[in-house]
Amino acid sequence: MNERVVACGAGFAGDRTEPAVALAASGRVHAVALECLAERTLVPGLRARRSDPQAGADPRLRRRLRPLLPVARANGCRVISNLGAANPRAAGLQIARLAGACGCSGLRVAAVLGDDVMALAAQVEWQEPFSGELLGAHAYLGADALREAVVEGADVIVTGRVADSALFSAELLPILLDEADALAGATTVGHLLECSGQVTGGNFEMPDGDSLSAREFAELGFPLARVFADGSAEIGLLDGASGRVDALTCTLQLLYEVHDPGSYITPDVILDFTGVKFEQIGRNLVRMSGARARGRPRKLKVSGFVEQPGFVADVEIGYAGTHALQRGRIAADALRLRLDDWQPEDLRIDLVGVDSTLGPASLPAPNRAPEVRVHVSARCADAEMAQIVEDEVYSLTLSGPAGGGSVRSERRPSLAVVDGLIPRELVRTETVWEQAP
Amino acid sequence: MRVGSLAIGRSGDKGGTLDLTLVALDDAGYRWLESRLTEAVAQAALARVMPGQAKRYAVPGLRALKFVVSGALPGGVYATLHAGLHWQKAAIWVLLDLELD
Repeated sequence: MNERVVACGAGFAGDRTEPAVALAASGRVHAVALECLAERTLVPGLRARRSDPQAGADPRLRRRLRPLLPVARANGCRVISNLGAANPRAAGLQIARLAGACGCSGLRVAAVLGDDVMALAAQVEWQEPFSGELLGAHAYLGADALREAVVEGADVIVTGRVADSALFSAELLPILLDEADALAGATTVGHLLECSGQVTGGNFEMPDGDSLSAREFAELGFPLARVFADGSAEIGLLDGASGRVDALTCTLQLLYEVHDPGSYITPDVILDFTGVKFEQIGRNLVRMSGARARGRPRKLKVSGFVEQPGFVADVEIGYAGTHALQRGRIAADALRLRLDDWQPEDLRIDLVGVDSTLGPASLPAPNRAPEVRVHVSARCADAEMAQIVEDEVYSLTLSGPAGGGSVRSERRPSLAVVDGLIPRELVRTETVWEQAP
Repeated sequence: MRVGSLAIGRSGDKGGTLDLTLVALDDAGYRWLESRLTEAVAQAALARVMPGQAKRYAVPGLRALKFVVSGALPGGVYATLHAGLHWQKAAIWVLLDLELD
């Protein structure tokens, strides 16, 4: 067999769960990949693992896999995911037990370890100096780390930090021609699929404002790709699924979060996208070809998580009715006066509904607005400072413009992500097997 | 001419770097954008909203322009003082809503 079908069942930690089940149930898909790892799940996982060595996997693991595992097994569809987060070994055990409990006795689970390079942190070349406590350091593994699990026939492969595209290209390794451009194509397929709905019409609008309908967004199908030995592929949707796949949706996703399009670095291969071609060959079906390899990086990217003391306090108060915009503006100015001892770079005050997103580049404000919200964010060294900001906003209900209310606030812990590089030969990977009872 | 009448776009981010993609709908639109939306023009527009320096990449085969702004998101997306998280998803409208002669 010189082609394989891979699909995306999740493009971020909180993504919808039912598209993966639909793709696995179709019987067309050899592997469904779930990209679920984010700083916001990895960091709590690292903290949890400190006190409990069995903790640290993605907390959504059960919710995601319980409906998927029986369907995937019945259809011969492998599940590949970075749901292992800060603890892929424990995740492998959890998945095997879960599989046993949902009728998948004998299911083989491979946990791929080695991304956690905290013990090698001193050998990481950090891009910039940082202060604060390093919570964890994770290297981006490539598809080669998953090869054993694929070749040995794992039903589920669970990892920690792996390049998102490698969750897809790993499945393709056994069918690819032994040439760098074939691997480049397979990696490009992974890059196109890894953000789920972003290649099928999500986060997409035509110049005239045309986009999918509310129902189509609500039922958006996730993508699949039929990939050939030379690394070329057909990107599409399941028959009847909602969405839009064309050269424009593919091009936007191809270049998404890419810096130099002629040199996109992944752990397995440096990609040149400048010669990629997209050709519509059917309804919601696009043929992709022309990805080229520009060598293999000698170092792997490392993400480090640095815990810093303090919070960002993010607080809002709303105004409605006649003169709402005027009252909101006065409230914002009153807060500027009350908080004038704050460092300007640690404080932001603006109006939600007017300029809170694009600031001075916002479109002109309306003269009248039915309602407006005043937003304040402040970098606070500790909880007491955060409370002072929250209280200042709340005080406007009594001592500010008329009718201030609908107050909400949140505190975000201060977390910095630092990038580094590590020589790839220092990163040793290991595959640990579990079997569902 | 509004940039967004000729092209579609999307914002992305990696660490402290913002990346903006524009894809023109046809060759004429691409040539117009390629000549008018220079690195300096984009930098001037983006500097109203964010720190950092924009670098442009042109991909004629895909009718695409990329603007990569290093230092645009100091401390990364979680360190933002914007309301909520991920304001940068809307940053592409700084370019889409740009009017150029």
